[in-house]
Amino acid sequence: MTVTDQDFQLFIYALKTSSKYDFSEYSEKSLKRRLTKILADNKMTLNILISKIKNDQEFVEKIIKEITVNTTELFRDPQVWHALRYAILPKLKNNSVINIWHAGCSTGQEVYSMMIVLNEMGLLEKTKLYATDLNEDVIAQAQKGEYKYRFNIGYLDNFDKVIKENPYNYEEYYDVPYEKYFTIDKPSDTIQMCNMLREKPIYKKHDLVKEGNTLYVKFDLILCRNVIIYFNYNLQSKVFDLFHRNLYDNGALVLGMHETILGSYSVKFQKKGHAYYKS
Amino acid sequence: MKYRALIIGGSAGSFQIVTRILNSLNPTFPLPVMLCLHRLKHVRSGFVEALSLKSNIPVLEPCDKEQLKPGKAYLAPANYHMFVELANRIALSTDEPVNHSRPSIDLSFITASNAYRDKLIGIILSGANRDGAFGLKKVADNGGVTIVQDPTESEVKTMPESALQLTKVDYVYSTDQIIRFLQKL
Repeated sequence: MTVTDQDFQLFIYALKTSSKYDFSEYSEKSLKRRLTKILADNKMTLNILISKIKNDQEFVEKIIKEITVNTTELFRDPQVWHALRYAILPKLKNNSVINIWHAGCSTGQEVYSMMIVLNEMGLLEKTKLYATDLNEDVIAQAQKGEYKYRFNIGYLDNFDKVIKENPYNYEEYYDVPYEKYFTIDKPSDTIQMCNMLREKPIYKKHDLVKEGNTLYVKFDLILCRNVIIYFNYNLQSKVFDLFHRNLYDNGALVLGMHETILGSYSVKFQKKGHAYYKS
Repeated sequence: MKYRALIIGGSAGSFQIVTRILNSLNPTFPLPVMLCLHRLKHVRSGFVEALSLKSNIPVLEPCDKEQLKPGKAYLAPANYHMFVELANRIALSTDEPVNHSRPSIDLSFITASNAYRDKLIGIILSGANRDGAFGLKKVADNGGVTIVQDPTESEVKTMPESALQLTKVDYVYSTDQIIRFLQKL
């Protein structure tokens, strides 16, 4: 089934007028694809979908969960984690408290990666981690901290690169066992994060598009990786504004490997390596 | 100008061909070039550098919402789908793979075709799966120019043959013919 431009607009309009969600400034191509998939998965016509959106808030929540993309990995893009460990986080080591926001945390692998790095740096205790997402189901998964082993097996490689090796000094090697942070159970095909890490972050449902800062603190570091690719150009600027207002001076914003600040906000941040610093 | 963009899809056996094409283009090539090439999942970097070595035009892995400019080649980043949005902007997505592929050649071709209609040139090269066939059909349906690498010359025939099965394409060309066609633009 193909979704026409008109179908697409009707869908966006129905959500906007009958729910608290507004997707009108999302990146059109991805969203259209998600809509096509939702119609196919639910075996529904657009008319039925729209009438359910108008009359059934529970259904809306279900659709929201299906619409969001939740790709994430442990230590995704090791070079970014090298930058965090050796360039970005060291600047914060003399803070009495470090506030970090994972905006769009998905199933939490990035949050766990961060906690592991912070712990190896001796900074975890004084760090407050806030992790938010639009989708409550992925937050529940993040809190559970249980992942498929087979699916994530490649990421142990990334763990070694980021935690055991030092790319700036090949002679250094930290023999950190995985069990320090998670247990691997091959028969049940799971990786279970330890309780110390599971209980640390503050998780909260949050809509980057509609809500301001509902965490009521300012941040030293915000990570928002592969989230804004789903927003259009205008909406991206609004989100940059939100981040800019809620970062401390010289606070850092880390985006996805292929995301960049375009437009008027590009002058309000200074890019150094993998981070944008509030200037 | 008759055309506004060129898009090339390929998989196994296409790397050398793309390298030759990029090496033959004039530095003032008048169109943006989108490259959607499958690569091994764990090879995340080095590909763009390898393609750049012999290219006459800059090859880059674009950032999301980057504007497409003539005379530059935009390689779909590893593990992202690459779309064309309104106003000539690239959009990236980590949406699930389509037919086991991310980037998906079909998706890149379809969105490029929606954006450029009959002003698009689509080329499918050597490859080991069927990705791209549906996308090239879209290009044809929208009046764009469709070219498929001659299967007898392709290192792996599946991708060009699948494209030929689905669409009556404008040209079945050898690499040399593709290059001559592009040099005349």
